[in-house]
Amino acid sequence: MKLSLFKENRPPSDTMDENDIDIAPVMNMFIILVTFLVSMAVFTHMAILDFTLPPNVGAGLDMSKGKPKVKITIRLGSDYCGIVMGEKLLDSLPVAKGDVFPFPALAAQLAVRRKEASVQDEVVIASLDGIAFKQVVHVMDICREAGFAKVGLSSATLDRGADK
Amino acid sequence: MIRKQRFTPSSGSGSGTFRPQLTSLVDVMAIILVFLIKTFSTEGNIITPSTDLELPVSTSQKHPKPQWSIEIARDMVMSEGTVIASTKAYAKSDSLLVPELYKWLQKKRVQRADSTSQLLLQCDKEVPYAIVKKVMYTCSKANFTDFSILVIQEE
Repeated sequence: MKLSLFKENRPPSDTMDENDIDIAPVMNMFIILVTFLVSMAVFTHMAILDFTLPPNVGAGLDMSKGKPKVKITIRLGSDYCGIVMGEKLLDSLPVAKGDVFPFPALAAQLAVRRKEASVQDEVVIASLDGIAFKQVVHVMDICREAGFAKVGLSSATLDRGADK
Repeated sequence: MIRKQRFTPSSGSGSGTFRPQLTSLVDVMAIILVFLIKTFSTEGNIITPSTDLELPVSTSQKHPKPQWSIEIARDMVMSEGTVIASTKAYAKSDSLLVPELYKWLQKKRVQRADSTSQLLLQCDKEVPYAIVKKVMYTCSKANFTDFSILVIQEE
């Protein structure tokens, strides 16, 4: 039995026109699939960042745990960003004009200070009122990447009382 | 070598049959299909952010869960599409408590008979921290203690 392509003693290339594959159904399927996938596509992925409030803010104040532990506090302001431990200002990083925050330097310093701290998994971010929320989220990312599992949000004061 | 004609006249007659060259189109379709399948997410977004908000970007990978949500836009505080308070009204106030929001949260708690302490904040990225702080304080007074912020995951 001969193959159908060679039945007329012609090379296969000559018989191309006669054996054309009908790709119209494939195209139809592609168009339906592409439309479906485009309509179902999720181009922005959502995530969440967990945080807590300082313990004296909530209604359920727990006074039975004794002295509060001294945690690293990041002071976020439009004048400078500081790393504070208790009452002592450890690092002060000035904010450049145009609200250019020194986030790379803050990340580097925070990693160093975390190693020295007694509480290494908790940090408090104290921000001034006028700071845009995206900057606070950026600092929360820096803290998480530095290894702090729990982040607390608080508010900072305008004066430089922390370094006294 | 003579290339195949795209337009092949039918034998003997003057009128031709148009046969479009679909190969390149199939190639494009195949590439688009592969790209879309690769980026296709079966999880989707459980939470749909409010259209009035421009959420901040974060490197967080934690997936959101459906929970109580408060939306802080540039000029109003909302929840479930309901405007609760105008930010202009309480932005300059010395008090940290937002009375309208507090009343609304208390009312909803009673209606739902829900004692959850988890709350999701959807906050516009340009909103000043003072406004967020007041909302957080008010929510904490309404017995919400575990907060989360909804963010756009950085690619």
